[in-house]
Amino acid sequence: MSLFGFGPGCDIDFELNRSGNRKQVEVIEDGKKIEQLVYYDGEDVGGTIHFKLKKPGAKIEHQGIRLEFIGQVEMYYDRSNHHVFTTLSKFLAYPGEITENFSIDFNFPSVDKPHESYNGANVKLRYFLRVTIIRRFSNITKEEDIFVHTLSAYPESNSSIKMEVGIEDCLHIEFEYNKSKYHLRDAIIGKIYFLLVRIKVKYMELAIIKREIIGDNAQNETETVAKYEIMDGAPVKGESIPIRLFLGPYDLTPTMRDVQKKFSVKYYLNLVLVDEEERRYFKQQEIVLWRKADMYKSKQERSDQMQVYESAQDQLRNQLEKQHISDGQNKNKIANNRVRHDENGDLLNNGDDSDDEEE
Amino acid sequence: MPPTNASNTHNMASTSSNLTQDKQLQDAKVSIKTDALLMKKSLDKIELLDGIKHASDMLNKLSSIAKMNNVDVPMQLSPKNYYEIYMNVTDELRHLETFMIDEFQKGFKFDDLYELVQYSPAIIPRLYLLITVGTVYIKIQEYSRKIILKDLVEMCRGVQHPLRGLFLRNYLLQCTKNLLPDCVVSDNEEDGDINDSIEFILLNFSEMNKLWVRMQHQGHTRMKEKREQERKELRLLVGTNLVRLSQLESINVDLYSSTVLPRLLEQVVNCNDEIAQEYLMECIIQVFPDEFHVKTLEMYLKACTNLHEDVNIRNVITSLVDRFIKTTVKLDTDETATEQQATIFDIFSRQISEIISSRPNMAVHDIVALHTTVLNLAIKCYPDRIDYVDKVLEITDTIFNNMNLDHIQSNSQVSKELIKMLKIPIDLYKDILKLLRIKYYTILYEHLDYVGRKTMCQYLLNNALENETKIESPDDADGLLQLINPLIVDSSDKPADYEQDAEDFIEEQTLVARLIHLMQSPNLDEQFLIINLARKHFGAFGKDRIRYTLPPLVFRAYELAYNYKQTSEQDEKWDKKCDKIFKFCFQTINALIKAELPAELAFRLFLNGSQVLCEIAYENCENILYEFISQAIALYDEDIATNKFNSISLIIGTCQKILHIFGEENCDSLRQNCVNRAAKLLKKPDQCRAVALCTNLFWNCKPRHSDGVSLRDAQKVNECLKKCVKIAAQCVDTSAQFELHVEILNYYIHYFEMQNENITIDMLNELIAKIKQDSTGLDKSQNECQMILEQFDRSLNYMRKKSIVFDGILF
Repeated sequence: MSLFGFGPGCDIDFELNRSGNRKQVEVIEDGKKIEQLVYYDGEDVGGTIHFKLKKPGAKIEHQGIRLEFIGQVEMYYDRSNHHVFTTLSKFLAYPGEITENFSIDFNFPSVDKPHESYNGANVKLRYFLRVTIIRRFSNITKEEDIFVHTLSAYPESNSSIKMEVGIEDCLHIEFEYNKSKYHLRDAIIGKIYFLLVRIKVKYMELAIIKREIIGDNAQNETETVAKYEIMDGAPVKGESIPIRLFLGPYDLTPTMRDVQKKFSVKYYLNLVLVDEEERRYFKQQEIVLWRKADMYKSKQERSDQMQVYESAQDQLRNQLEKQHISDGQNKNKIANNRVRHDENGDLLNNGDDSDDEEE
Repeated sequence: MPPTNASNTHNMASTSSNLTQDKQLQDAKVSIKTDALLMKKSLDKIELLDGIKHASDMLNKLSSIAKMNNVDVPMQLSPKNYYEIYMNVTDELRHLETFMIDEFQKGFKFDDLYELVQYSPAIIPRLYLLITVGTVYIKIQEYSRKIILKDLVEMCRGVQHPLRGLFLRNYLLQCTKNLLPDCVVSDNEEDGDINDSIEFILLNFSEMNKLWVRMQHQGHTRMKEKREQERKELRLLVGTNLVRLSQLESINVDLYSSTVLPRLLEQVVNCNDEIAQEYLMECIIQVFPDEFHVKTLEMYLKACTNLHEDVNIRNVITSLVDRFIKTTVKLDTDETATEQQATIFDIFSRQISEIISSRPNMAVHDIVALHTTVLNLAIKCYPDRIDYVDKVLEITDTIFNNMNLDHIQSNSQVSKELIKMLKIPIDLYKDILKLLRIKYYTILYEHLDYVGRKTMCQYLLNNALENETKIESPDDADGLLQLINPLIVDSSDKPADYEQDAEDFIEEQTLVARLIHLMQSPNLDEQFLIINLARKHFGAFGKDRIRYTLPPLVFRAYELAYNYKQTSEQDEKWDKKCDKIFKFCFQTINALIKAELPAELAFRLFLNGSQVLCEIAYENCENILYEFISQAIALYDEDIATNKFNSISLIIGTCQKILHIFGEENCDSLRQNCVNRAAKLLKKPDQCRAVALCTNLFWNCKPRHSDGVSLRDAQKVNECLKKCVKIAAQCVDTSAQFELHVEILNYYIHYFEMQNENITIDMLNELIAKIKQDSTGLDKSQNECQMILEQFDRSLNYMRKKSIVFDGILF
């Protein structure tokens, strides 16, 4: 970095992907699209650094050339204070002078990369290589970002989300998502069962909401990542509406919890019903997103995603219907359940404003 | 606000909504064209994803809010307009489908297309595309057909808006046409089998039906009529499901009765909507083959008992029965024929009663109509089972009895339906005698009021006449006459103010008269019984009626007498029988006289009877014959006031024919009576002519006891003719006199030629001279005179030709 624009100059280029087979992701930084290479935890980070003198024949004296691998959390509101959670460094050259263009190979073996790279609204988690030509007055540095994907194993427990919510004498629904934890290419399969409908529903949609939380809930940023219409028109009591939402097309990250005690990223499914007077009724439910290793779907997985979700309770209800148990009895059974509150003590919210509002 | 104003505002509102509808429709069509063009351009460049994106934009016009010219427009289209857009869009979608199939077959693969189209955030375009891609996958066998079909039909649940949902599911049906698995066992499990197809259609059907029914309950009550109209426009969409089911060849009777029909009926019954139920029940009847219906009749009819009260069950049952009537399928198996099992008729009969008892508020006329359909079935499908017919009628009778319905007012709907019912056996059997074998026919018919019964009688008689039904046994005749009682008798329930058009009355009585001619037993004795029976029925109930009914009876009796004569060789007692017949006739004709009917009728009947008698000429018929002719003469004397000349002519003519039967005494008496009456006629020309006629009584008649030699009283003839000339001379009118002379001349010529020795050539000459003299004073310009002169000339010519006979005539 030449402070005043004069003095000896040297261009530094990283060449990390020599074989060219490493996956890349597109990252938007300062409004520009940049391709970044993807690394996984425990992988070597290595390559070649090319030094090129700006003026051929010029000389650059230095006190050594250092290469660092850094992982850090950056807060946008506090640019000066980065939280570095990983550093590795090595000297590439002893003090001397650069007289001609040259290249140096390097390798950090089995680097720990505990977190997923993240570019949020207010926070950024990044990994980068920094090479520094140490000089007496002004160092020459060059950084190269890499993008880290953290892969998770299949979650040990992955229960479905099932809930009965409603507004007294107005709307009672029971919804069910097949899992609580989804990988990023997963499909959310579920259904909504209408137990009581006294409002004129116009449509229903499922939204994915991303919430970025910094510090101890000190700063929150909520963003609707997806809106997906799942029902057109007004259902009547007894209707069951299927849900199938593929996560693939959306820009999602794994759920992150208390990363370095600095920030979290959480995802919610927001079920929204809109009535003919444009009133919105909604219920948010957190889901956990994780990144799965193999990127291609197995045939089994594909056909799993094609199934219309049928919950245990549905099966029971179908049985009841087949046994011709009268409507009245059925209703009683449901009525007993319906005052139950969900774990947050929330009933389905009825808000005239947007579904993005704070809880 | 006064009602007029209210309706005005309403009209204005609806006009403006029509305007916006039209505009929306036009805008949408333009927009669809643009999108379709872009789609096809992309496809030309093999850019499938872009193509799909444009297709999605195009499909967006079927959504509740469509983007047109980059503005979100809430779409409010009538079913008709929505249909138009739907047709436009799905037409264009076919390009996409064809493209995909072509490219796939060329080997171009696009992974996860089925998933990809589901990324669309708007549900309507998403599901249309999903169906399109799904069917492409099935066609190129890219993925399990079974799973795709199941998935498509389930995912469509997302559209709960009736109109949009119905069309979406219709698209699903359209696309999967010919793609549904149609085999009982599949080689490849993923392909699915017939059960999967059934599940697929049944689910789609019940969802569509629910949407369709739901339309009824949306919107304002005052729009009910319009809504029902719209629903009727959409019913075909729902019915298509049933058509698809019926097109599956693997559905056999067993599968139909165990799975398909029970599930269909469950949906139809549970939806509890009269429009849907009426249409769908009818639809089931129409689309599935007859043998299915035969096997599942009981189930179907049981479902009918559970239909909504407002469903016009009549129409449904009638359609079903019509189906059975027209079918060529054997209704009952051989086991049922041997009464091991209930026949189709039994099932109908029982279930119809169930249906009726399930509807306590059912109108009586509808009940009757229902039984009418069953009756129709019984007669058409079981032509030999009169007991079936009886059963239906008995049930109907019981219903009337339970309701205490009697003298059912004509013009009431019940009466109309009952008459319709009672006409069926008449129409179908084309043999009214069969009705007499149906015990409850008459019983049921008695529930009608007087007018109703009369209507039936006429119908019945017309049918008998049309089909020329022969009534051969006295019992049948008796039964039939009882049946048509209202035409014969003044019933006790005849309304006091009952008035009938004279023409109608005549028409009605004429029918009865014509019926008499259908009564014809091959056994003569029985025929006589029949005639007697009829006579008893016609009795003395009103002179208006017997005027029409007794004369034919008399003629039938005459006819019978002829028949006896023909069989006289086999029947020793034929004389006595004939005697009985004529006594019967005599009494019958006298009954007419007693009823004070115009005497002319009885007069002529007596004369006619006299002639018949003399033709049959059985032993000892003289007395009765004398009774006949003398009664005629008595009537002439006492009761015939006008046209006496004609009547005496008839008497004279008859006497001339019958005189030979009589002995001397009766013969002379009759002759003398005739001459006396002839001479006493009022007008001279009549006297003259009648006396001239009497000459026939004395010439060429064969009195019975003269052993075949004709009794020719030349003297009397001559006397009569002389008398004629004398009377003619008394005529003042010369042209009348002239005419009479010409006529008398002809008598003279006749008797001269017949060698009446009392007639001489001089007499002829004298008369001719008189005529010639008369003719000079005549006004020959008159037509009448001309004719008489011509006649005279012809007479002269006649004599000229036979100049040998008429030798000495002075021409």
